[in-house]
Amino acid sequence: MKSIKRSLRLVSIIVFAFIAGMIMLVLKIQKEASFYISHSNTAQLGFVYDRNGEILFDSKATPETYGENYFIDVGNLIGDAKGQMTNTLVANNIEKLNNYSFSMGLVSKDGKSSIHTSLDHYANRKVYDSFGTSKGCAVAYDYKTGEILVCTSLPSFDVTKGYADIENFETGTLISKVMYGTVPGSTQKVSTLLSAFQIMGKDKLFSKSYTCNGIYMNKGGNEIVCHNSYGHGTQNIQQAFQNSCNPFFAQLVEDDDMPLENIIKCYEKMGYAVNDDKEQYFDINGIKCERASTTLKDSYEFNTQWGCIGQGETLVSPMQLMMWQSGIANQTGKMTMPYLIKYTTNVENEIGDWAETSYSEEVFTPESSTEVRQIMLENGKNYSESISGYNIGIKSGTAQIKDGEEENSLLVGFIEDERHPIAFCVLLENKNNSDTRSENIVKTMLDALCQ
Amino acid sequence: METTTGKVKYVFSAIFVLISHLAMLTNMFYNGNCDPSNMNKFVILAITVIGLDILYFIAMLFFKQSTYTIDFMLIFILNISLIFQSSFGGISLSVKHLVTCIASLISCRLGFILCRNHKWIQAKKKAFYIATGIIMLCILTLTGSRSMWIDLGFFTIQPSEFLKPAFILVCTTYILEQQNKISVWKFNIVPENLICTGFIILICGLQWWCRDLGSLPTFVAIYLCGLCARLCYPKAKLSKKMIITGIASLAVLAITAIILAPPYVKSRLFVDIWNDTSGDGYQQSQALIAIANGGWFGKGAGNGDLHNIFAYETDLVFASICEEWGLFFAIMVVCAILIMLASPLVNPPRSYFHATLATGVCSAFVVQMALNIFGSCNMIPFTGVTVPFISQGGSSMVTCGFMMGMLIAGQSPVFKNPTNNKKKKVKSK
Repeated sequence: MKSIKRSLRLVSIIVFAFIAGMIMLVLKIQKEASFYISHSNTAQLGFVYDRNGEILFDSKATPETYGENYFIDVGNLIGDAKGQMTNTLVANNIEKLNNYSFSMGLVSKDGKSSIHTSLDHYANRKVYDSFGTSKGCAVAYDYKTGEILVCTSLPSFDVTKGYADIENFETGTLISKVMYGTVPGSTQKVSTLLSAFQIMGKDKLFSKSYTCNGIYMNKGGNEIVCHNSYGHGTQNIQQAFQNSCNPFFAQLVEDDDMPLENIIKCYEKMGYAVNDDKEQYFDINGIKCERASTTLKDSYEFNTQWGCIGQGETLVSPMQLMMWQSGIANQTGKMTMPYLIKYTTNVENEIGDWAETSYSEEVFTPESSTEVRQIMLENGKNYSESISGYNIGIKSGTAQIKDGEEENSLLVGFIEDERHPIAFCVLLENKNNSDTRSENIVKTMLDALCQ
Repeated sequence: METTTGKVKYVFSAIFVLISHLAMLTNMFYNGNCDPSNMNKFVILAITVIGLDILYFIAMLFFKQSTYTIDFMLIFILNISLIFQSSFGGISLSVKHLVTCIASLISCRLGFILCRNHKWIQAKKKAFYIATGIIMLCILTLTGSRSMWIDLGFFTIQPSEFLKPAFILVCTTYILEQQNKISVWKFNIVPENLICTGFIILICGLQWWCRDLGSLPTFVAIYLCGLCARLCYPKAKLSKKMIITGIASLAVLAITAIILAPPYVKSRLFVDIWNDTSGDGYQQSQALIAIANGGWFGKGAGNGDLHNIFAYETDLVFASICEEWGLFFAIMVVCAILIMLASPLVNPPRSYFHATLATGVCSAFVVQMALNIFGSCNMIPFTGVTVPFISQGGSSMVTCGFMMGMLIAGQSPVFKNPTNNKKKKVKSK
């Protein structure tokens, strides 16, 4: 009898294991049903709104209903549900837009599923238009809260027209360049400056001065050329930063008080993938954003110095350049993590996914951020005419690409304004053939956001 | 059924089954795709279902049993299955499924008659070894190395399905058999256990050879349950060390199997269905979408779209039910099968032999259900096995019916000694 009972115990175990599996299955289906439906042809998608309630995505939109190019400024950021673009807000959050619930099924007419973003469509459109015929991208966010206010990338396209003309799309049309690495030019000097403050300390760094004669022959025997062929003469760190002097920073990197391993540590803490070929990403509401990367092998080597100056193999996304600005502007050394989705509503109009401000770990010391902030604000005074009306901390950069054939213009910075704590990054491609300037784009952006 | 209480129970159970099926048909009439143009089809289906119920109730009267729980559950589930299979993608009686349901009921009776006398069946154990060997030989010679079917022209047979009840019988044991030990080196070994182990090794090799790896877990589960039932006897105490060693050995075996698995198996093991919705993940992604579409209460019988997907009535049957009848109903049906399998807990088998039989049947059914349901829902790799009694498929239905007969036999056994019968006959002469 005992042996029969033992056998029956085995039956109980098998049955209960299966029941446990079924419970897990039901929970899984409950949790993921919306995601499944979002992959079906019958999905009924809701809207994406900007911070003021303007529609940024409507799955049934046509050029007639909204007007031609109405969504063009957010075309490659918000995207659509057609599957051509994979790194967009809609593609990565499609289940949140699903007018579906497991108990109600598909709701075609009165579904309230939606995503409410932090974007300001008016400002975004203004910035988009300010590029004129040029290409590039611009991003701005509230460095206190993390709300992304502007994020546009050119060339873009009107998602309501679909992909019939895809063969004639220009390169980069289907991606938001804000999320992808670009040569940062002298905006990289912000990172090098932050590292120098952390490695040497304020007093030692301010006591250092190097001479620029236009061309500097480094200890490895390579020439580091300055954009000012006459040279900047002897400068301290403040002057060199304002002059964006390449020879100064090359000499700083090969200084014995600035060991390379310490630079690497500082860079890695900031989020750079140093000497690593593997592509790495971080996530902003499901959208993948490339992590910064650089190659630092030897302090006396040309490529290492060139990388610290912001040319060569260094790549940083405009998003990450902007995020570092938040750590500087807040004087905390912690980045305010950006987000696009403020909240969502489900099919029954219940609010969920409320965004909360979050911060990174300390990526540089608060002391160094205070010093760099001051230097950038000083530098910003040089822009008092072109970007008038703002107490701005700024760093410009010129990135040489295509073996120096083209130059991209970058501007990163922040404004010191309690009511509008905005950090930004603007990339203007092929600036020499452009009918606008990056300062104009920044000015337009700040005016639109601070109006 | 001789007592008045027994008769009352019988009548009430029959009424319960009839009402359940009528409720389903009513649901189909009001919520399903039942417009006037196909009313005839609906009426034919309804008459068939109720008719089959009544005929089976009458047929049961000719069989004397201690309990009829499984019988009522079986007709309850089979007719539900017939309603399902007749509703996928449009209402029309599935004659093929009706025939296999009847075949299943008949094979259930055969299983019951064959296994009710454990002394007789134990005496015939060698015959089951031979039968199992013959089935394996059929698989080896008739199916080919890339197929699991024997094509007879007018219908096909899947011999590996028939191997399941045969192997369950091979794995059953009784007390005397376990006491018959021989000493090999320093170990006391039961020869019957060695034979079981030999069979499972051969079966694994055979299934691997004919690429029917989906059935492998079922055979392994039957063997392991048989082994556990043996270890549980007599007063065997499973030390922690033994349990850990057992689990570790299984884990090593599983990892080795994964490493040695052919590429097509590996691709199924690690497929990301949502990144390959038009390739390897097509069936599962469509199944999950169908489940989501169905929600709790379904789109209505005959209103589903999954019937456009290959194997909607077999491998994806759980999703097909969910889409048309809803997840709630699908779970209820799975529960009904589980209740049937768990009935030995309420009506315990009367012998150790029948207890091991029940363990084997239960493990085979549960593993098969788990492989199908969890596989089609992307919780585990998709293997393409059937849900017992619910999926369409003649071989599966017949063998499942036979296995249910085995379970009934354990609850209504007879204890006649075959040798004594012979002696009595001699005496009477």
